[in-house]
Amino acid sequence: MPASTAAKDKRTTVTERPKKTKQPPAHPESLEQRYLKLLEAVPDAILEVNPHGQIMLLNQAAERMFGYSREELLGLTVETLVPAALRGRHHEHRASYADHPQTRPMGSGLELEAQKKDGTLFPVEISLSPNWRDGELNIIASVRDITERKRAEDRIRAIREQFTVELSAKNDQLEARNREVERANRLKSEFVASMSHELRTPLHTIIGFSELLAEEVEGTLNAKQKRFVGHVLQDAHHLLELINEVLDLSKIESGKLELQPELFEFSDCLEEVLTGARQAAQSKNVRLENRSNFAAQLYADRTRVREILNNLLSNAVKFTDSGGNVWVESSVNSGFLEITVADSGIGIAPEEQAAIFEKFYQVGGDNRRIREGTGLGLAITRQLVELHGGQIFLESSPNRGSRFTVTLPLAKTPAFRSTVDRKQS
Amino acid sequence: MRRVLIVEDKDTSRELLRTVLEKQGYVVIEASDGEEALQTARAEIPDLILLDLHMPRRNGYEVLIELRKDQRFVAVPIVAVTASAMQGDREKALAAGFSGYLSKPLSLANLRSEIQRLLPEA
Repeated sequence: MPASTAAKDKRTTVTERPKKTKQPPAHPESLEQRYLKLLEAVPDAILEVNPHGQIMLLNQAAERMFGYSREELLGLTVETLVPAALRGRHHEHRASYADHPQTRPMGSGLELEAQKKDGTLFPVEISLSPNWRDGELNIIASVRDITERKRAEDRIRAIREQFTVELSAKNDQLEARNREVERANRLKSEFVASMSHELRTPLHTIIGFSELLAEEVEGTLNAKQKRFVGHVLQDAHHLLELINEVLDLSKIESGKLELQPELFEFSDCLEEVLTGARQAAQSKNVRLENRSNFAAQLYADRTRVREILNNLLSNAVKFTDSGGNVWVESSVNSGFLEITVADSGIGIAPEEQAAIFEKFYQVGGDNRRIREGTGLGLAITRQLVELHGGQIFLESSPNRGSRFTVTLPLAKTPAFRSTVDRKQS
Repeated sequence: MRRVLIVEDKDTSRELLRTVLEKQGYVVIEASDGEEALQTARAEIPDLILLDLHMPRRNGYEVLIELRKDQRFVAVPIVAVTASAMQGDREKALAAGFSGYLSKPLSLANLRSEIQRLLPEA
């Protein structure tokens, strides 16, 4: 179908509609008139410029936007609408457009401005299209006033900048607080270390002179005096243990305790600890039994594993009454050695089971039957186990007994933090 | 008779060490700070020195370094005595040139065996 026929058909269709609304127009609109209305309804300014730069055609929006009347604009060169400062070179831009005439945005990537009649500048976006007529290149410029959009963008940018500034201030605060926390932690560690030193110094002479007295080198003591000196010694050692544990815990918490792992026979290490615990067990008439059959080597910090076993075993003996049993079991489970220290002792109430791994917690509160100990043993034990990459579990019921199970990785894992690892890497 | 220099700023601690050592049959010489320790050591040339690390007027490490520079003290056993209990203290002391390390509070048994180890003939 030829284009003209199509246009005619459309015209017919459109002109029929008003009849249906029973408001027939006095004069049917031509297609040109309708296009004109279309042009005038556009909020963008549309201008046609001839090869000499003169404005030949414009819409109402152009009048409003630039503040000139149609009569004033017609025949003026388009440079009139360009900011005074840039006017001089604008004809060159026109010439270069003529070399590559195609529909494209003007000054792509640049922030363009136009000038109103009253001299005010405003930001614009301009789209250029070639329009060949009678062998001459006319340019159709569609100009959009982007003042509002710019303002919104500026506002967003300002908000973003303010946000960035606030964020960086917050970051600075956070860093300062981190430094403060680090400093406080260091001071705490230093305080604990120096407190430990200051406490150990008088304890040194308390223990030393008590030992001298107990040795009776300066004269014999009667039974009562001997017992008294024994009490002094025992409590001095207890105090020393407390100081050592506080220091240990402080080292662990400040990350200063470094494991020194080595390969060793686990059964030898366990036997050493059992030997130490046997005396206390015998004096309480508690049966102590080694049911562990793990006969391989373990890669761990031997001293710390001893400490873990010793803490658990001495607790088990301590909380088991005469005639009871304490025993050690072991098994291997998915790459971990599981060591269980079990007893038939007084057990731990369910509501206390989580708390016993906390610092200074002691089973039974103020009414507890057994008062010796620092309340730090299990907290340290758990930390030592976790430093090794293992875990500690408790199963217990009151008056039936307790089972503490420690897992230790059998293979050297990357999680294993140690000085040896660092030296090797 | 073997002579032991005790360097220790605390009177009670000096008395304790002296009592133990005299019972063992040693002759005890005393100094109560780092400076005095250097003077006394150079004047007396003892057979063994128990040197506290934490002292006024030159700490134990400074005294050790000064003494080890002196030809007469190259072979004299010098034992560090300290109430500090930080990890690596013992290694640090032995690496610096101390012959032994005793931490406070020390057990009398440890003290005696350490001296026995370093002065076997006595």
